[in-house]
Amino acid sequence: MLMPKKVKYRKQQRGRRGGKAWRGGTLAFGDYGLKALECAWITDRQIEASRVAITRFIKRGGKLWIRIFPDKPYTKKPAETRMGKGKGAPEFWVAPVKAGRIMFEMAGVDEATAKEAMTLAAHKLPIPTKFVSRAGGL
Amino acid sequence: MQQFIVEANLRAERGKNAARRIRRTGLVPATLYGGKGGPVAVNVNAKQVVSILKSESGHNTIFTLKLVGGGEDKVIVKDWQADPVRGDLLHVDLLRIAMDVRMRVKVPVHTFGEPQGVKVQGGIFEMVTREVEIECLPTDIPEEFRFDVTPLMIGKQLRAGDLPLDPVKLKLLTDPQRVLAHVVALRIEEEKSAEVAAAEVAAPAEPEVIKKGKKEVVEGEEGEAEPEKSEKKK
Repeated sequence: MLMPKKVKYRKQQRGRRGGKAWRGGTLAFGDYGLKALECAWITDRQIEASRVAITRFIKRGGKLWIRIFPDKPYTKKPAETRMGKGKGAPEFWVAPVKAGRIMFEMAGVDEATAKEAMTLAAHKLPIPTKFVSRAGGL
Repeated sequence: MQQFIVEANLRAERGKNAARRIRRTGLVPATLYGGKGGPVAVNVNAKQVVSILKSESGHNTIFTLKLVGGGEDKVIVKDWQADPVRGDLLHVDLLRIAMDVRMRVKVPVHTFGEPQGVKVQGGIFEMVTREVEIECLPTDIPEEFRFDVTPLMIGKQLRAGDLPLDPVKLKLLTDPQRVLAHVVALRIEEEKSAEVAAAEVAAPAEPEVIKKGKKEVVEGEEGEAEPEKSEKKK
């Protein structure tokens, strides 16, 4: 599972999410990509599930880049606990993703294969996504 | 090269509200600068600019900008902004060019052929750099550089210096040693066994927390310090 090696603080405030990804919204490495169309916190498990789905589908050949990283700890209080007594323990890690962000990129495969692989990955994610290619953009 | 003529109107209003009103009418805010003359805020037709950007010569297309109530300029799209979700054009930077002055442009590099390293050795072909910067006259800007990558084997690279450039017309500004493309050996990731994966999910390790500058106080010293404080209180 993806998570930071070192952190300055164990817990973080939730913050707000919204807006568009004015950075990281274009293909930087590969020829095909999967773009988020809404904002979300993508968990480490969802990223891992998407990665496994893509690598299993393409089997050999092709290269994958994961452009998001879960660096935000998500805390939870134990079940049946009264309120108070401080913030809960870190439970898992999330990547805050804004609309327009390229989450995965691929190269070294044909477009049909890339599209199918990205569709499988998209099924593991909690937000609507769009398949993008280098030829299709501005 | 295809000839484009784009009409532009002077933009009187500024700010995001005015810009949004302009975009709703099918125009896009633009700034014209460079060459002889100062910067001018204008509106241009978004569809025309998109067709220029999607043409064969792409953003290096030289076209004529007809300013309503003004003159004509030969311009090039220097930069542009697009909406990250919808992909609509939001703003364009247009640069005036002089046809007799050498200029710096970024030209895309396209490859063709299947590398031997992929076909025979089973490697992966990877493009590292997709554009090279050159200096040339506006009339000499190439649409693209095409390079045959068939002889590339695993571990071999195509470098910027390998591109066939006419040294009289074009000057390469990118580092000649810069890798444009290479063939790398395939790395197969070992899938974790079900037990290891399950253990990882059940008890994820926490990352190390970076401690602040102050060193921890030794227990003995702490014990001695405390009674003094209590005496003072008395």
